[in-house]
Amino acid sequence: MIQPLSGIQNTVAALDAERTRIDVISENIANANTTHGVDGKPYQRKVVVFESALQQAMGAGNNSNMTSQLHVARIDTDKRPPLEIYEPGNPDADARGMVATPNINIHEEMADMISASRAFEANLAVVKNEKAMALQTLSIGKH
Amino acid sequence: MSPLSAIPQTTYNFGTMPGMDAARPNALPTPDIQAPTPLGQPGEINPSQPAGDSFGNVLGKMISDVNAKQNAANAAVDGLQSGSGVPLHQAVIAMEEANVSFQLMVEVRNKLLDSYQELMRMQI
Repeated sequence: MIQPLSGIQNTVAALDAERTRIDVISENIANANTTHGVDGKPYQRKVVVFESALQQAMGAGNNSNMTSQLHVARIDTDKRPPLEIYEPGNPDADARGMVATPNINIHEEMADMISASRAFEANLAVVKNEKAMALQTLSIGKH
Repeated sequence: MSPLSAIPQTTYNFGTMPGMDAARPNALPTPDIQAPTPLGQPGEINPSQPAGDSFGNVLGKMISDVNAKQNAANAAVDGLQSGSGVPLHQAVIAMEEANVSFQLMVEVRNKLLDSYQELMRMQI
């Protein structure tokens, strides 16, 4: 199979991973005030764990063409304890009037989102550059 | 070797025809009515039949590869539009890959056509 854009599979994998990271961050931001999650406890912040796996490049029989491809290993939960705020009117408040709110700091999530979005952008720039290089190479034959 | 050996023979036949210069028996007959007949002969003798076949195979494989890329791009766009979980960037990159493969195929086709026309313009 011809591969006009070489190494694009790694970039696609990285884009997938960053996309997942942004999805998880958006879930965190959306649930920043969820005091009653599916298990009855406050929502716990989720973190994406990346790992790179060796991937045999397409059509290659030898080991020299192994590339390490990024993918999401797992989506873990942040182990930090929930933040307790005093809100006696809340139905989820305990006997002392304290409500356990998710361990989410919106500023932290925003910074993470900028980081993920910039990483996505960098990988898109790689794709754009690959395409420009391929088209420039094809233009050798034009007259 | 066989088409090259065929040509001197025909020119020799023309050389012995009446009206030709006897001092130049190997000279090509320029204004002759029968000149098109030897032109047909090298085309009949084709020693590179298996080579031409395999080149056709290579070309056919390339075209089917490009077709596969186009189909993959179609499937990605279908998956995106039907909401079956294909991310946007995968569909766009599949389309770009199909586009670049197609342009590569067009370039190869242009080169082939150019060389064919160059051959047809060749003075015999």
